[in-house]
Amino acid sequence: MRMARQKKGQFIIIAALMLSIMIIAISTVIYGTVTYYRQERWEEYVTIVDSIKTASCNLLQIGLANYSQTSNPYVLRDYFNQWMRDVRKAYPGFGVGLSYSLASGIRSAYGVSLNYSLGLARTWNQQVSFSASDATVDIDVASLGLSGYNFSSHVFLKMNIRETKWYYKETQRYVLTYVSVDEEGLEPVVNLQKSNFEVKLSGLPQTFSIKRYYSSTYKCFIYEIRIPSDPAGNPPSSVEVALLDTRRIKTVSYTTDIKPEG
Amino acid sequence: MTKAKQAQNQRSSKGQMRVIEAVMASLIVVSAVAFLYAFAATPSSQPQETSELEKIGHNVLHDIDEQGLLARFVYRCEWANLTSALVVSLPTNVYFNLTVYDVNGNPISHPLMQYGNQQVFDSSKAVASVSYIVPGYQTNYSPRILVLKLVRG
Repeated sequence: MRMARQKKGQFIIIAALMLSIMIIAISTVIYGTVTYYRQERWEEYVTIVDSIKTASCNLLQIGLANYSQTSNPYVLRDYFNQWMRDVRKAYPGFGVGLSYSLASGIRSAYGVSLNYSLGLARTWNQQVSFSASDATVDIDVASLGLSGYNFSSHVFLKMNIRETKWYYKETQRYVLTYVSVDEEGLEPVVNLQKSNFEVKLSGLPQTFSIKRYYSSTYKCFIYEIRIPSDPAGNPPSSVEVALLDTRRIKTVSYTTDIKPEG
Repeated sequence: MTKAKQAQNQRSSKGQMRVIEAVMASLIVVSAVAFLYAFAATPSSQPQETSELEKIGHNVLHDIDEQGLLARFVYRCEWANLTSALVVSLPTNVYFNLTVYDVNGNPISHPLMQYGNQQVFDSSKAVASVSYIVPGYQTNYSPRILVLKLVRG
């Protein structure tokens, strides 16, 4: 009986000891976890990686803008090669390394098959035209022990000539063309002005006016381009619309499908 | 009678032991907590403050960049507009000093882009520094590095 009571007493002491050990162990682990970011200058690394990521995406856009205006097919490769060197210079002491791979061959972008070469692709002079760039970037930060952080980025511009009509009224003749413009994620581009467009009828540059609105007919945001034509003239053989968006990316749509309307 | 007294003695000594055990157990637990408290190095507010300012600075530059304004301000040398954009975007009690460099570290922004007294920067122990890189503008690749220094006023 006495032995039993003594054992019971020892048990309380042992339980208290174990409880103390548990408190110390759990507290140590929790403290180490919640203070880890402070020891690792976490914010600094996150901002560097984020800054490089944003800049790489912007570079893809700049490369596409240059390609769409100059037709230099090597521009994106050259820009990324320079970018790899300059990033190291921009963040000395962090051990920042960058590598990239540019899209090549036929790839699908937003439901469209595009033939990429050195990360760039374009399909112009069709009713639906595209300009696109695509690349995958790997970032290493040696001082953090971060390696292989990679992301894919793409830039995309699509213009669609939805419909073109030639109105031949007694007093005036004009062409109405309805155009929709989309960017990455098939987001409609709604902030374009007249200065972003150039229009040609039968290969000749024209003056025009432009209206923008949501069309219930096409169920999308539309730019309505009105081009006055010669009152005594014949219907135009083709309509060409060139677009230079706010990012300076160009695309050119073309159609010969012109419906006469009395 | 003797048996009853013996039983009473036993019960009272058992009660005393319980009290002693409870006191010992409490002492062990309290000493464990005291041990933890003594060794827990609470972080000073200074690194936390710098880290917070770095986060704010980076977010503000990122937001201006997302709006497509940062590259325009930097490459068209619209320093007054850039300063105004930062003043508007940052909290009112945060002072800043911004310098734009080319990729070789040569400063490009000649006019001083600063909000707040220079004395605040000199006297503050918690100055946060954010580096932000802009690769180019429109069709041209020509990287610029923005170094934004922040202090709380």
